[in-house]
Amino acid sequence: MLIDFIQQIFNGLVVGSIYTLIALGLTTIFGIFGIAHFAHGSVAMFGGYLTYFLISALGIGLLPSFILAMAAGALLGIVLERVAYYPVRNAPPINSFIIALGLTLIIEKLNLLAFGVDQVIIPTPLVNVINVGGVTMPELRIYVLAIAAILVIGMTLLIQRTWIGMAVRAVAQNRAAAVLMGINVNSVSMFVFALSSALGVAAGVLVGALFAVAPGVSSGLVIKGFAVLILGGLGSIPGAIVGGMLLGVSEAFAAAFVSSAYKDVISFLLMILVLLVRPEGLMRRSSR
Amino acid sequence: MLEVSDLRIGYGQVEVVHGVSFNVRKGECVALIGPNGAGKSTILKTVCGLMSPLGGSIMFGGRSTAGEPGHRIAGLGISMCPEGRQVFSEMTVMENLQLGAYTRRRSSIKDDLDEMMTLFPRLRERAGQDAGTLSGGEQEMVAIARALMARPKLCIFDEPSLGIAPRVVDEIEQTLLAIKARGVTILLVEQSVSMALRVADRGYVIEAGLIVLEGSSAELAGNKNVQNAYLGF
Repeated sequence: MLIDFIQQIFNGLVVGSIYTLIALGLTTIFGIFGIAHFAHGSVAMFGGYLTYFLISALGIGLLPSFILAMAAGALLGIVLERVAYYPVRNAPPINSFIIALGLTLIIEKLNLLAFGVDQVIIPTPLVNVINVGGVTMPELRIYVLAIAAILVIGMTLLIQRTWIGMAVRAVAQNRAAAVLMGINVNSVSMFVFALSSALGVAAGVLVGALFAVAPGVSSGLVIKGFAVLILGGLGSIPGAIVGGMLLGVSEAFAAAFVSSAYKDVISFLLMILVLLVRPEGLMRRSSR
Repeated sequence: MLEVSDLRIGYGQVEVVHGVSFNVRKGECVALIGPNGAGKSTILKTVCGLMSPLGGSIMFGGRSTAGEPGHRIAGLGISMCPEGRQVFSEMTVMENLQLGAYTRRRSSIKDDLDEMMTLFPRLRERAGQDAGTLSGGEQEMVAIARALMARPKLCIFDEPSLGIAPRVVDEIEQTLLAIKARGVTILLVEQSVSMALRVADRGYVIEAGLIVLEGSSAELAGNKNVQNAYLGF
């Protein structure tokens, strides 16, 4: 029983770390722009497909392909910010909402056009399975968890400890005051989209290695990402980390001890419960 | 240093500042006074680049800044301590001060941080606390220190005593005098006209978007109309 328990925590953390990567981008973008960037899941799938394409069609190695795809994701993020969201930055929120929906469809269809309709699995050489006291830990899952952890910690340090990170937080908290400090809000906006999209691509690649890259996956990812935001608190980075892990683990428990058919139901019940008890999210100060 | 001529500003189609001219010389403290809604804050926001003027010119250090984006104007050496303080409430006092030096981020700011903590000993005690948890007066200190962290050529204060407990207002007046004594050039908007005239060397009286009177602080304080309208004689 204890072994099962630890096993499910491990499984949950692996999936939860991917949710966290998605949610970090969504929450940072929400914090700066106040927009729900629905296309984020499609950006993640674009990254997964691109990585698969680089490996299978061009014969580039796994790691360089991963890094190239993240760089491409960062560029795509900047393009999305400039072309789609920048023009409506002073318009009523409904405009960016509709643009976000439109972008989702456009990127989804572009993925189909560029990469086809087949589901693909990103090939990795990680096939070993490690067994620690009865807990099964496939090597691939350990790598996924480790890569996600490195990216999450890196992102957190960047936001907490560097000038550009401080500028991002300043713009999120008080845009006019940030301008008075000499912060170029345009550069910060582009930086946030680049960083968020690169992290989204990383999530897409991890999903592609662990499960599969497929046309339908993006909407599931983005819905889970927003569930994490609601759990953790909109715009909160610690919230995205705690919320992502919590969602992953609760799903794993639901699948193992109740029924895998009900895992989404149970995770969304958890979300509703948090909304009832702490509407501002787990990590959000209630004073705001 | 700052030369504003025939400045016209509006919100949408409605012009609220109708051709205002004034200047601030290096090392001077100049106050803009006048009733609520006269356009004082609007003028400051335009000087800082948060708003674009409809017409007229703003010259700072011999360079036209009218309509330039705010972050570039901050980079030229204009610092603003905005109305309502506008501290970054979920960041620590220390981070707020660091952000004040954003335009100087490539140089060392450690000494400046120390200097601000000496100027405002209360901020040293509160350095690790989120700025949003501080009292109004303390937040004003954060906003002032943050503005000074840029080592500005011109420091603008918009209503520093507004919404502050009366006993703290004296403290803010002393602070402004101390900043002036350090040789910082100041442009001040302040609803407490008596305080503004005690701190400033010169002043302009603005009513309904026009300058109606200008002179040294002593002249303005001795003016019958100013006394009746603002000083409560």
